[in-house]
Amino acid sequence: MEKCYLTIGLEVHCQLLTKAKMFCRCGTDYIGKEPNSLVCPVCMGLPGSLPVMNRKAMELAIRTAMTLHCEILPRVIFHRKNYFYPDLPKGYQISQFDFPIGINGTLEFMGQGEKKKVRIKRVHVEEDAGKLVHEGLNIPSECSGVDFNRCGIPLVEIVTEPDLHSPEDARDYLTMLRSIVRYIGVSDGNMEEGSLRCDANISLSLTEKTMGVKVEVKNMNSFRSVYHALEFELSRQQKCLAEGKKLFPETRHWDETRGVTVSSRGKEEAQDYRYFPDPDLLPHTIEQVILNDIQSNLPELPLEKKERFMFDYELTETEANVLVQDCSLANFFESCIKELNKPKFIANWVITEVLKNLNDLRQDIQHSKITPAALMDLLKMVDRKEISGTIAKSVLEDMFQSGAKAKDVIAKKGISFMSNEKELEKIVHQIIEQNPQSIADYLSGKEKALHFLIGQVMKVTRGQASPEIVKNILNKELSAERSLCGPREPF
Amino acid sequence: MNIADLRHYSIEEYKKAYRSKEFTPTAVTRVFFDRIRELEGDIHAFLAIDEEGAMKRARELEEKKISDTDFPPLYGIPIAVKDNICVKGLQATCGSRILRNFVAPYDATVVEKLKKAGVIILGKTNMDEFAMGSSTENSGYGPTRNPLDRERVPGGSSGGSAACVAALEAPLSLGSDTGGSVRQPAAFCGIVGLRPTYGRVSRYGLVSFASSLDQIGPLTRTVDDCITLFEVISGQDERDSTCAPYPPFSRNDIPKDEEIPKIRIGIPNEYFTPGVDPAISGRIREVIDLLVNKGFPVINVSLPHTDFGLESYYIVALAEASSNLARYDGVLYGFRKEGSFTLQEMYTRTRTEGFGKEVLRRIVLGTYSLSSGYYDEYYLKGMKVRTLVRKDFEASFQNCDLLLTPVTPCLPFRFGERSRDPYQMYLADVFTIPSAMAGIPGISLNCGYQDHLPIGLQILSAPFAEGKLLGFARYLEKLLSIPLPFPEKMPRKESL
Amino acid sequence: MSEKISLDEIKKMAQLSKLSFSQEELEQFFVDINSVVSHFDKLNQLDLSDVSPTSHISWSQPPSNPDEPREWPGRQEVFAHAPQVIDSYFIVPKVVDKQEE
Repeated sequence: MEKCYLTIGLEVHCQLLTKAKMFCRCGTDYIGKEPNSLVCPVCMGLPGSLPVMNRKAMELAIRTAMTLHCEILPRVIFHRKNYFYPDLPKGYQISQFDFPIGINGTLEFMGQGEKKKVRIKRVHVEEDAGKLVHEGLNIPSECSGVDFNRCGIPLVEIVTEPDLHSPEDARDYLTMLRSIVRYIGVSDGNMEEGSLRCDANISLSLTEKTMGVKVEVKNMNSFRSVYHALEFELSRQQKCLAEGKKLFPETRHWDETRGVTVSSRGKEEAQDYRYFPDPDLLPHTIEQVILNDIQSNLPELPLEKKERFMFDYELTETEANVLVQDCSLANFFESCIKELNKPKFIANWVITEVLKNLNDLRQDIQHSKITPAALMDLLKMVDRKEISGTIAKSVLEDMFQSGAKAKDVIAKKGISFMSNEKELEKIVHQIIEQNPQSIADYLSGKEKALHFLIGQVMKVTRGQASPEIVKNILNKELSAERSLCGPREPF
Repeated sequence: MNIADLRHYSIEEYKKAYRSKEFTPTAVTRVFFDRIRELEGDIHAFLAIDEEGAMKRARELEEKKISDTDFPPLYGIPIAVKDNICVKGLQATCGSRILRNFVAPYDATVVEKLKKAGVIILGKTNMDEFAMGSSTENSGYGPTRNPLDRERVPGGSSGGSAACVAALEAPLSLGSDTGGSVRQPAAFCGIVGLRPTYGRVSRYGLVSFASSLDQIGPLTRTVDDCITLFEVISGQDERDSTCAPYPPFSRNDIPKDEEIPKIRIGIPNEYFTPGVDPAISGRIREVIDLLVNKGFPVINVSLPHTDFGLESYYIVALAEASSNLARYDGVLYGFRKEGSFTLQEMYTRTRTEGFGKEVLRRIVLGTYSLSSGYYDEYYLKGMKVRTLVRKDFEASFQNCDLLLTPVTPCLPFRFGERSRDPYQMYLADVFTIPSAMAGIPGISLNCGYQDHLPIGLQILSAPFAEGKLLGFARYLEKLLSIPLPFPEKMPRKESL
Repeated sequence: MSEKISLDEIKKMAQLSKLSFSQEELEQFFVDINSVVSHFDKLNQLDLSDVSPTSHISWSQPPSNPDEPREWPGRQEVFAHAPQVIDSYFIVPKVVDKQEE
């Protein structure tokens, strides 16, 4: 078929990491809470209640907009978006309209090995809605339940221009955006828990200059589903165009289990949000001191950090990429380097072993039991060759699970500091000298003799030596003996 | 003396009586409930009466040990509160069937302040549904009658609050003023009603009609009581973004007596049109002449956009109202139309049955002026004209300190007289609306009677200049010495 | 009387604001609302091209909240007067689809 031009724009909502809600003083820690326990007259929209802006939410939104190189507008003005829905207790959502926090920004990300740039159209703040449940213990099947714990949590919405051109791009942009909101501490960006949500606008055109018909895709709850939904939508639209069918603007929902997008029937012919300035909230002038303060506290971003890691620590791009994806991992790495200035060696351990353990335990570095100091206690031993890499790996695994110190794990595992190879070598020599028969047996092909010899070393060290290290030393020594005895027949 | 005469006391007189142990708060409270029992069947100023709570509160106040010098400013003073202001544990129906079972789970900021100041809340007063009306005929619970003429309306929307004070069922009350809803009923009932500067009194706990216009204001029998009540309820509130972060009003803001005659009075031409009842304009001209004779600097001023105030007000107020009233959907509180419905049916049936006709009309109108395609034509235009109206006042206050106008173009009208044509009803607020649009304060003062019907004089000032406004009003009240309205035409207490 | 807002528009506005009227009611609204809207035309006499709109009356920087949560103790009273509550959820007829209109 003919070549198609794909254009994607994303709208991402992130819950801001405030302790209190956007317009009232209720707490935001809603996950796992009893329904309607984090509520007050304001976030339940009780008659007579009035909203007052949480200034921290405003600051986090400005921080987001600044990081995305937006122009920051001088005043915070809220609009009402009017529509009826049971999770929206006032009959309108407090949002922003023609005067958002920031406009005209950009974001750079790595898309399939290439540095790409997306224009950010706008960054605005709004309040989250409540949650509906359709089946609960005692809720009749013909009813739904409403929980307002989430209602009023601050959200920042980040809208791109239609600058993305493949599902991969969309996924990579989203990965970078999540990484950034985490870096700057404005959101935990957790898609599965709903603290980061993404809607996509996708359009397919036969010519490069014109835009196709805009289709909105919603209900994508993971990075994977964003990618798959867009891939599905791309092929669906390609097929339509190939068959000469007309595409029309619509909203489609991603059905995760069936792996298809489904048209939301007749996108409300009469929908009209009637945005107007919220008369309950006076415009708030953003003071220059606040802007300066936020600006001067912006952290280093993933791409900058990556370049610095490559330059300062002589890491490869791949290594640096892995380390900077999660800010806390990058910080963890840099704390480790302070203990031992061998970045390459440490990077290697962090990228392979630390990440493997985190992955196995489904943890992130912040919530793991390992501290940089604990890891470095272990790696310093490896570096001094007091223990082998293999041993260290198994010790590390134990440390991740138990949170114990390297020294204690080693003691518990019966790997004393006698696993110090020099000392062990002495003992091995001693055993070799005392057991000429076993040596002869081994050299003549009796594998069992080796086990006997290991057993002897273990006996002398009262079980404190690492059998593996002992075996290694024995092998080394015995192969030296073997070479003295000349080539041996194969067995 | 007759214990019933207690009803005529001013706040200072109550406090004096309490200090000297002449009377107790329970005795005073009981006297008002007696009066309520006597007249309510006829006046219907109240939607809820909390006799049990009020008597309990009165006893609690008596038991508290309070030193003679440290009396809270409203210690033991009974008060009635408009039913759109939340008092914890009491209903807040806003005169609407849609909130008929709504019990406020919190106190409005003004109510917190009142309670701290020692008041005794008698009950909640009748009003036009969601404060939409000028006669209290739009109440979902039946109209209030004007105590001075039971065939006539008490004005609105704070008709209950005005009527109960005029009928001596309460010594003072709180109302709310969006386009004149405190000042117009005060004028119709011959009492004092103040609309403060927008943002001077917290709106937290006042159920919104039009957020950028709503203000809570006192209704009292005298300017002095108004001053005391205003001192208590004003001041900043961290729970209301629109509440100005300025200190509360203080009677120390009032100019000294010798400064009063220097106050420059402006007379806006646009408020003396042929449409005004000659009895009203004539009486106000007399007052102006009196002031000229007293040596006040009086000048004519022009507020050229006055004539556009009414239209722009209705556009802005109804747009806001259509959104403010969206929350009454039967989900969380208030009335829900029962039956096995879909969600959409629950919404439409709850709302269509729950709201009264005028409210429905205003919601549709407000929705219209915000809807796509009409926003620029109506809502945006309304906001722009609002700017012009505001600037008119700003300019006039360059040349004068206060403006003197009628409160209404008409005397209290009969029931049904204006309720058929909504626009005729809107005209009742034509002189109170522009100042509300500008956010400036205004007071309504009884300046005389046409037969038995009171005539209201409106005094307006620059924002936050309530000191001058109230000082002058108090001076004028004394100068005019208009007898207080009293339904039984009983002699004033001075002669008792 | 000139017709500024049509019967269909009134129907649409009613739909948007979740109200429903009988034909008779609609016709009465049509008359009343047009009578009010016809007065709004008066504003066209003014040249508003250079006038900025007043959406709020604002005298100074408004207050804002610190990011410090505090609990509200009154939720039981809200439950007590709510139309229907089960297991601390507010109950409504089944919500079928977000786009359902």
